[in-house]
Amino acid sequence: MTAILETDDLVKEFGGLTATDHVNLTIEQGKLLSLIGPNGAGKSTLINLITRMLEETEGDIRFEGESITDLKPHEVVQRGIGKSFQTASIFPELSVEDNATIASFGAEHGDFRFNFLTHRDSYPEVEQRALDTLEAVGLRDQKDVRAADLPYGDKRRLEIGIALASEPSLLLMDEPTAGMSPEETKATVDLIEELQEEMDLTILLVEHDMEIVFSVSDRIAVLNRGSVIAEGTPDEVQGDPAVQEAYLGGVEL
Amino acid sequence: MSDEVGSAEATESGDVERSPSLYDRWLAVREREATIAVLTFVGVFLAPFILVVLPELLGIPRQYSWYRNLVILALIWGIFAIGFDLLLGFTGLLSFGHAMFWGTAAYTAGIFSANVTGSPIAMILVGTTAAVLLAWVIGWISLRRGGIYFAILTLAFGQMIYYIALSPLGNLTGGENGFTGVEVGPLLGLLPLGAEIAFVPDALVETWMYVLVGLMTVLAVVVGNRVLNSPYGIVLRAVRENEQRAEFVGLNVWRYKLMAFIISGAFAGVAGSLYVIQRSFVPIENTLNWTVSGEIVIMTVLGGVGSLFGPLLGAGLYMYVANIVSGMPTIGDFWHMILGLVFIAVVVLAPNGIWGRVEWLRERVGETLGGDDR
Amino acid sequence: MSILGDLVVLLVNGLQTGAIYVLLAIGLSIILGTLKFVNFAHGALYVIGAYLGLLITQEISISNGRLAEWGFPAIGLDWGFFAALAIVPMLVFVVGLAMERFVARPFYDRPDTDQILVTFGLAIVVQELIHALIGPRTYSYETPSEAFGLLPLSGPVGVPLSSVTIDVWRIWVIAITAILVIGVYAIVEYTDFGLVVKAGTRDPEMVRLLGIKITRPYLVMFGIGAALAGIAGVVGGPLQNINPEIGMTILVPAFLTVVIGGVGSIRGAVLGGTLIGMVQVTLISLGSVGLGGFEVNFTPWAQVGIYVLAVIVLLTRPQGLLGSEEVST
Repeated sequence: MTAILETDDLVKEFGGLTATDHVNLTIEQGKLLSLIGPNGAGKSTLINLITRMLEETEGDIRFEGESITDLKPHEVVQRGIGKSFQTASIFPELSVEDNATIASFGAEHGDFRFNFLTHRDSYPEVEQRALDTLEAVGLRDQKDVRAADLPYGDKRRLEIGIALASEPSLLLMDEPTAGMSPEETKATVDLIEELQEEMDLTILLVEHDMEIVFSVSDRIAVLNRGSVIAEGTPDEVQGDPAVQEAYLGGVEL
Repeated sequence: MSDEVGSAEATESGDVERSPSLYDRWLAVREREATIAVLTFVGVFLAPFILVVLPELLGIPRQYSWYRNLVILALIWGIFAIGFDLLLGFTGLLSFGHAMFWGTAAYTAGIFSANVTGSPIAMILVGTTAAVLLAWVIGWISLRRGGIYFAILTLAFGQMIYYIALSPLGNLTGGENGFTGVEVGPLLGLLPLGAEIAFVPDALVETWMYVLVGLMTVLAVVVGNRVLNSPYGIVLRAVRENEQRAEFVGLNVWRYKLMAFIISGAFAGVAGSLYVIQRSFVPIENTLNWTVSGEIVIMTVLGGVGSLFGPLLGAGLYMYVANIVSGMPTIGDFWHMILGLVFIAVVVLAPNGIWGRVEWLRERVGETLGGDDR
Repeated sequence: MSILGDLVVLLVNGLQTGAIYVLLAIGLSIILGTLKFVNFAHGALYVIGAYLGLLITQEISISNGRLAEWGFPAIGLDWGFFAALAIVPMLVFVVGLAMERFVARPFYDRPDTDQILVTFGLAIVVQELIHALIGPRTYSYETPSEAFGLLPLSGPVGVPLSSVTIDVWRIWVIAITAILVIGVYAIVEYTDFGLVVKAGTRDPEMVRLLGIKITRPYLVMFGIGAALAGIAGVVGGPLQNINPEIGMTILVPAFLTVVIGGVGSIRGAVLGGTLIGMVQVTLISLGSVGLGGFEVNFTPWAQVGIYVLAVIVLLTRPQGLLGSEEVST
């Protein structure tokens, strides 16, 4: 198996605080790696470093063998790293179809074009991709609905759809089931598994719900105070004393 | 990236009939655009009759009705406002320095006419080019810091250009007296702008000046409509709605914003050049002063942000209030204050302005009549 | 004249001009930093301060405002400049409280374009109200020079300064500004009240969760900012002519001060304001200077210079000279 993403002694300091402390992580092609850890362990910081929302203090991040630390967030997306946000980050006033169309412009046309005098209808491939995306997340029938009017679970599906429209090789999912009802959570988990299988997607998942984590993950990395304290298969991680220690009084493993 | 997996499978599930040929699409587009162009054309060239001639026939006192030059001015400001709305209404960027594009185009076109040629078309081209170049530089600097800074920085740069024209470049620009050497030539080398048009009744269109401004207005509406229906239309709306998400579908948000700023500057440039052609003079207080930036904000917001015709309506309304209502007894002295209060009311209560209210009413009426015309 | 004497005069003039911007910028900067609220009506507070100060300082005759038509051809208390300096801040403080309660607060949760638009509308209404009541005429303060006299500068032995004199009232104005600024700085930095405001800037949600009522400190902070803007109007009175339109014109350098100094930083506002004041005054008094055979006249560039300064700061240190380095989008 080949590594798709590697972090190399990655360090991020805020003032005197070390949020990411010499992290060395490897995600292999086609696998699902979950990132867990108590609140404030540095999970979000790590995700933000990979998406280039944050500038690292030291270290390197390599995607498909090349360093991405000089790229801007949209360039990272163009390289093939998609992100699904913790909240339903959509375009609320636009229709569901328009939401998907925006994502599909980003995917088909790259980060910028000078086509401000060309009618949108001249890009059937963009429209097609938008409809395919909606099909994939099961929102095709609601394509004319204003995104803000969707129920919460559907907003999250749309969110994931937007992230998938570019057919990323690596998808970062930041708590995809946060705020969902049990049924919505179940549907989302099924969707994740389905996507991973069908699209040969590599996923980096940040999730609080341990039940989900242990059922879907190929590997799990445990973060505490900025550093990785354990990494391995679900079984290996479950038995690790350091993990028990970090979660003492927290979530029951 | 791997294209085969997701899309290919979904396509097979019966999508074929819903993708008409490219030619059909193109026809449909043309049709819609042609409709808008024709409607605008009819509206623009009926305006003098409806606003000037008809009130006279109905016996409305002259001091309460429009005059022909005011209609021309309203259209010129309307072009400016359409461009401004592309930025404010569709991209969500509030510029408080658009006077610099309108004014720079005005000065460039004016000085060009005095030194090179007075051809109106050449003046528009040169003035607009100057505005576009300035918008590029100013946008590049102002967009470095996001959000609230944008309004502040554009306001500041607008004032900077004003002071540069006022004093250090006073020899070139005429300083506080404005630039007086404007020499406008005939249209296409043979049609004097002030001359009356043969074969067309005066009741409709009187001068070539009106034809020029009217056609530029139609062009502005058509181009504005095209931009809104291009990928930019949807991308800019996405930036307004959720900038971070737009960045995370792989769009270079910064460059799209810069383009929106430049396109908007181009509209301001066309309008500013026309303004100088119409006035044959560049008054600094009506071109580069920040008050112009304030006026365009008021017009656009009053008329209705986020629509194509709202800004045109706003420009007309503002021109009428500032030039006609201001001369009325009693309320005339307070026109600016009343406008300020109405402006606040619109911001608080009707974010989509007067045009938004009109659309809202039309939908309500449509619903009660049981018609679903969408 | 001596170079040293010129420098002292330059310094006093620059500091007095700078004082206006410092006073304006502190209010703007704190409100922007803590409440993330962009106040385009901050200049209106300056105008209100300037006119109230004018009416307290002296008696003015109104030629074409409504007040004249209503039987008040001349109004004013004639109590003098320093009385205005003392009373105006209290009055404008109250105006600021009203502005926070009725204009700003309903807009805290709306997009910042709406905040800018509504405060811009308010600025127009204030401007037109003054215009209607007192008229469009330009007024100027009687400078309080006579009452305080001149300070002859006698330099140290061997340095001739005999020909240079400085208005004592100017030094008083600078000193009073300095004391006020230090006072506000102390309130924000060292009191519980200031602590709540600062904490609210970092994480309003957390402060609310801790059960601290955050509305009151914000209200007071807004009032203090307004009061400082009012004082700026009085300080600027003898330096610049006042008319209803001056509010928007003064707002621009005030914003530049914030941009140069860094949002939310009082020390930044002081540095930025002083810099702008000094640059402006220096360029005016440089006049024509021979530079390598060329005669360069700097006076026309006085207004432009501060923008160049702002651009340089923006390109090299986008967060402002003393602003904290954070991702602010």
